[in-house]
Formats: sequence, structure tokens, C-alpha cells
Amino acid sequence: MKEKSLKPFILLKVAINRLKLLYFFLFFPRLTYTLFYLFRPFYEPKENFLNRTFRYGILTFGGGLTPFKEMKAMQAGAKALFENMEEAIKAKKMNKPVAWVEWILNAEILEAFDIVSFNPELLNLFGNAKGIEYPPLVIAEAEKKGVPVETCSAVKCTVGSILLEQIPHPDIIIGASHPCDSSISIYQQLEYLTGSPTFSFDSPYWKDDASYKYFEKNTWDLIDFLEKNLNQRMDWDKLKEVLERTNKVNFYLQEICEMNRAIPCPGTMISLLYAWVIKEVCVRSPLAVPMAKGLYEVTKSRFDKGEGVVKKEKIRVLKWFPPIGFFTYLFKWMEHKFGAVVVADFIGHVSTIQMDTSSKKSMIRDLAKAQMHIAMARQCHGPVEFLTDELGKLIDDYSPDCVMFMGHNGCKHGWAALKIIQDFLKRKKMPTLYLNLDIMDKRHTNEEGIKKQITEFFVSHGWA
Amino acid sequence: MSFLKKLQGIAKQDYNSYLEKAQANGQKIIGYFCSYIPEEIFHAAGFIPYRIRAVGSQGTSKGDIYFSSLNCTFVRHTFDKMLRGKFDFLDGIVFMNGCDHTRRLYDNWRYSEIAPDKYKYMFFAPHVISPSSEEKMADEIKLLIESLEKNFKVQISPATLKKSISLYNQKRDLLTKLYDLRKNKDIPLKGSEVLAIMLAVVILPVEITINFLQDILEEVKGRKVNKDNDLRIFLTSGCCEEVEHLELIEESGSIIVNDNICLGAKNFDTLVDESLDPIVALAQRYINHLSCPRMMNDVKGRLDNLYKIKEDYKIEAIIAEKLKFCDLWGGELFIYRQEAKKNKFPLLVLERELYGGATGQLKTRIQAFFEKVKNNQTIGDNFIRTSGDNYQFSSK
Repeated sequence: MKEKSLKPFILLKVAINRLKLLYFFLFFPRLTYTLFYLFRPFYEPKENFLNRTFRYGILTFGGGLTPFKEMKAMQAGAKALFENMEEAIKAKKMNKPVAWVEWILNAEILEAFDIVSFNPELLNLFGNAKGIEYPPLVIAEAEKKGVPVETCSAVKCTVGSILLEQIPHPDIIIGASHPCDSSISIYQQLEYLTGSPTFSFDSPYWKDDASYKYFEKNTWDLIDFLEKNLNQRMDWDKLKEVLERTNKVNFYLQEICEMNRAIPCPGTMISLLYAWVIKEVCVRSPLAVPMAKGLYEVTKSRFDKGEGVVKKEKIRVLKWFPPIGFFTYLFKWMEHKFGAVVVADFIGHVSTIQMDTSSKKSMIRDLAKAQMHIAMARQCHGPVEFLTDELGKLIDDYSPDCVMFMGHNGCKHGWAALKIIQDFLKRKKMPTLYLNLDIMDKRHTNEEGIKKQITEFFVSHGWA
Repeated sequence: MSFLKKLQGIAKQDYNSYLEKAQANGQKIIGYFCSYIPEEIFHAAGFIPYRIRAVGSQGTSKGDIYFSSLNCTFVRHTFDKMLRGKFDFLDGIVFMNGCDHTRRLYDNWRYSEIAPDKYKYMFFAPHVISPSSEEKMADEIKLLIESLEKNFKVQISPATLKKSISLYNQKRDLLTKLYDLRKNKDIPLKGSEVLAIMLAVVILPVEITINFLQDILEEVKGRKVNKDNDLRIFLTSGCCEEVEHLELIEESGSIIVNDNICLGAKNFDTLVDESLDPIVALAQRYINHLSCPRMMNDVKGRLDNLYKIKEDYKIEAIIAEKLKFCDLWGGELFIYRQEAKKNKFPLLVLERELYGGATGQLKTRIQAFFEKVKNNQTIGDNFIRTSGDNYQFSSK
């Protein structure tokens, strides 16, 4: 790839602009829907120099295939996102500390402090707003400085982002020992590179009372760390407020997941994944609740009428392992082209607890437990049964016709369990497509390559 | 035969006469994987702790059925050996969440049903150094003790645990003395010989180990194995168990005088405090010993150790290695690279496969590195060379 130079924060600024534009357009959802639909031939087939800076965004929002009511629900999420990004860029001027929080940790606790929380892995997705070659450019910068090629690109992007000054420098960092070694390793590198005080959550191996207690202890340690390093006191009322919001968001999303068991499936997985991003990045925002509620109402309306997200559902797909960051349109593309609906997914599937906000102790206890039930944290930290049990339950509950296994390059523990997973799926008599790709780096397998493999898989099974 | 030669022989084998004798006397042997598992517990139960190594592996063809080519060669070799029955003499295995590759050994071991009736246990070792993690480690030690007691109908009392701790501290003390010998200008033991010793002592009864180490310390008195112009090397790596690889480095004009490798210094760094409650003391020692990059909050500790060793052992160059697909050491080497640039020390970064051959390529790279270090010592340059050609730093 030709070397390009990037102005500081340019990727974030482009993402903010696109999200703002979308937010504005979504005040007129019918018009937006119509425009997206009419202009499909111009941007849908492939990225080119004319459509580069908006194709990814429009496709993520369904490319004219997502009903306007659903798009309207996404409007609140778009606002939550750009507000968080803007706040992060302006934090220094506002004299507010910036706390980086890893993807697989929610930022609720930071609501109780006067601080800007920022997800440093954001550019894996939002870097695509300027064109899908940008996240690989950021990843390549990290590799050039010595981060191993085989490290998971999802976290490698953060090293590149800070080296290229694309994300705000942190005042503190919060990382975790889950979901994988790449995360363990990269967060040490980030601590080293930034010199910022870093707190590391230690994820236990099991999911038993002792493990939950250990993670709860970690959460209390985090509060000590934050109070000491920020020289602030925890505001428990604020925490209660945000946890109650999180409970509501989780309730709506879990309901959508439940409804997706219906045949035909009333929900589209991209909405759940979008909601997951909002939840991970800015669950603190009050806008997360109307977004989740809006998505729920759209799905509920279809569910009540017995309608599916596609007119004629032909294939029910269970997608396993993390989604493809540079090809978020995958879901709508499969729905549109094959009548194939992803009914459940590794990340979008919400399976957590409602947190008891009646006391300080119950809040921290349940927040810790909820953290261990976030997607990826839930499945990746322990024995292989954490993967196969959930996979088996989803197969039993969601009646899929097939499974798509996203064989992400960086996921070593996943590769080490592949034989077990393959045999498990054989026993379940599930036709399975094993994709070999890098979820954040199109240089490995690009959009065309993925489409080709999926098409061949459907054709070979007589579904297309 | 000299004691050193005897240990070098034992290092190459999976089984030895000492284990045979112990088993004949009814003693059990428990396999384990990592320097974060307290060996003292097995000893206190009357067992022999046996560190599982890939030594003598015939390849990875069977292991590759369960592990992918994106997994490291250590797990593929060891699992291959397991499938071939090379560890059938073990009475049980204690696995650990060392890294993403090794933690799946527990899953694949159970799934492949190599030995379904054999004792197996998953030991959780925390990933951070903190008072909370010390407490958690103590809880995990208690759970392991309970499990061993229940399964093998044995008793592990605080008194026996204290005795075991004392013995293992003796072993640590002797190994420290052995390493300290290499601080001197005249070095009595090569790094490759020390690795062979380590490979042997992790599969021998501790009482035998202590005798061997005492004898070797006597045996090597007055011995000198280095040439005056040999470069003094610090070797840092994850799994590195090929004696031949270290010989290759040393034959290229150097002497390895210290290390931070899985089978090296972290095995004996830091004694267990014998004045404390034994479980608390074990937890403290095993959480706080010289760390591996799996410990998230100790980059500074490892770098401080590096600079201390550099000073104490008069290190002239550093070789830092990783096995392909090891994320943990990959990240560590990234930090080493930045640190070498900042503080201008000669660093060679190598990426390789365990028992992967490629000795010709490695030799060329190592020789070129040494040549450059020696030349630059003459002209006062500092530089770094990494495994790729991603950058080379040079400044006067």
C-alpha cells in the first residue's frame, strides 16, 4: 500500500462528521431511506474514489435495506457516538482526564467520575469512515514499529492509532486479561508507550462464586485506582443512574435476541451489533436507552405480526466468533441476496444479568458479574465449554440451517479449540463454513473474497 | 562420568532411573507446565513434580490434529508427545492458564481422551501482581491441595509443606549460586550447559537435584569455558529448551551469562518466605517472582531486572526470542525494541519455531550480529538489529 500521511485525529474527525451528517439526515428517515435505496448502484457494488468517504457508513446503516423506523432508532446511537468522540478530542481543552477503556469492558464505572471515557479500539470500525484502507494503514504502522504480524489486529490498531496520533492520549488506561493474549500483550505495550497509569482487570478462569468474587475484588481495586489517580471521589448516585440505564439497554437487547428465535426471524443482527458498539463505547450516554428501545419496538412490531426481517427467509445462519469490522454490510448483503438471516451471533447475542442497584455492594457485585458476561469476555476466558455450550444452546434455540465460523487470524485460543468446535458442529449436523480472515484487516481476505466464499457455500448446499 | 555430563544425559530423556526408582517405591509423578505452579505442593503430597517439556519430540503431526498451524510449536510438540504416549508414566497432569495456547492443552487433553482416568487439574494463576491476586493465588493453592488430597487420599499438612518449601528454597539457593558464577570474567559454565541442567532438574526429585547441584558447584570450580573475546549475552525468551540452539549462539562467539526464559531464572528467582504461613508464602513468591509477559502489570519489573542483570553480569548484547504465534513474547519484544532504541543497547530479535531447525539462517544472523557488535565496540557505535529488516538504529 502506498504510504499515506495522516493529520492528527483525522480519522476520528471524519467519523464524527459522517455520524453528524447521518444524525441530521435521520430527522427525515423516509427521505434518507429513499435516498440510500435509490443511490445503491452508485455505492453498493464496491468502494471507489467517488464513494470512498461515505460508502462504509451508509452500508453499515443498511445501504437502503434497513427500514426507516430502524434507522430512526439508530439515530440516537449515532449521536451518542459522535458526542463521545468529540468530547474525547476536546478533553484536554476542557481540562478533563481521558480514560481509555478496552472493548471488552464497559465504561459504566467511569460515569461516577468527572472524566471522559474513550474506547481506543474505535478506529477498527470508525476508521473505515474515511475509506476501508485506513484501518489497515494504522495496523501497518504498529507492525512497522515491531508489533508482531500475528497479534490480533483488533488491538494492534490501538498501537498504530496512538503512534499516528489518531486518538487522544490517555491519562489513565483500563485493560483486561480477557479475552486473549493479544489483549494482555497490547495493553502492556500501550502502558509502556503512553506512560499512563494502567489498571488491569484480571479475568478468572471459571465462572463460579469464587471467580465472580475475584472479579468483584478487581472492581473495588479499580475504584481505589481511579480515586487515587484522578484525585476524585466516586459518585455513587451517578453510578446507580448509569447502571439503571444499562439494565434497560440490556433488557431491550435481550428481548430482541429472544424474539430472533422466531421463524421467520424478526430482527437483523447488524442492529444488535450496532447496539453492542454503542453499549461498549458510550453506554454512559442517556441516548443508549432510546436507541435500544427503538430497535426493540421495531423488532417487536415485526414479531407480533409474524413478519421476518426479510420477506422470504430462506436460510437461517448462526455466526460464530467476532464480526468483520470492515464489512459490516455482510448481514444486509446476505439478507438481500440470499434471504439469509443471521439469527444469532457471538457478539450481538446479549446474555447477562440485571444489576441490583439497591446498595453500593450490590452494584459492584453485579457490575463485576455483568462484565464477565459481556460478549467475548463471557465465552473466551475459560475452558472450551464456554464456547461450545453457548454455541450448542444457540443451535438448539435458534433453529439455524448452518453456521459461519469467522476464523479470525489473531484468535489463537480459538484456533487451538478448532478441532473440538469442528467435531461439535459435525455432531450437531450443522453445515459450517469456516472462513479464514482477519476481522479488521482487509489485506488478508477482502470483501470480495468473503462474498465469494459465502456464495459458494450457499450454492454448494443448494440454498442459492 | 561427571555430574554435569550425567545431568546433560537426563535432560535429553523423558524418563530417568530416579523416576523409575521412585515409582517402584510407590511414589507418584505429577506433570505440570509452568513456573507459576508451586512445585512444593506436589512434593508435600509425597509426589515428584515433573515439568512437561517438548524434549525429544518426533514432530507435530499428531498434535496438529488438535492444534492449528497458528498455534505455537511448544504446545503442538508436547501434545504430540502426549498422544504418542510419551507421558504415560505420569500419574496426573496439572494444567495452567499460562497463555492461550497452553490453556487449550487442558481442553484438548480432555477431549482427545488420551487418558480419561488419569488425574487432571486446571490451575488458575492470576495475570496481575497485586494484594488481591496474592489472595486469589492462595485460594487457588488451597483448591489444588484439596483436589490432590481428595484424589490421591493423601494429607498435605502445613508442617510437610514447610519442609518442602525449605527443600525447594535450598534448590533455588544452589541455582542462584550456579548463575552467580557467571558474573565473573572467567566463566565455569556455558549457557547451554546451564539450560541442560535446568532441563534435568525440573524432572528430578528435589533431593536428588540438591545433591547434583552441590556436586556440580564443586566440579566446576576453576573451570573456564569462555574465550576472552566472547560476547557476554543475556538471553530472553519464552519457551526455549533446545540446548543445541544455545550451543549455536555460543559457538558463534559468545557466552550466555544470564536469561529470562521459561526454564531459566524465573524458576529460582525469589525465595519462599519460610517465616510465613506456608500457603500465604507460596502465593506471595509465585505471584512476585521474576515475571513472564503473561503478567500484565510488571513491564517495569522486567525491565528493571534486565538493567540490573546487564550491570551485574556485564552484558554486552541481548538476544531476545519468541516462538512464532506467541502474542505474549511478541509484545515483550516490541517493548525491548523500543527500549534498545532509547537506551542504545545491542539487541538481536529472533522469531523461531521450537525444534524448527533453520540453523543455517539463525547462525548467519547471529554471526552477523556478533560481528557488528564487536566492530561497533571498537568504533563506539550502538545499534539494534531485529529479526526483520524493519529498522536498524545506529548512532554514535
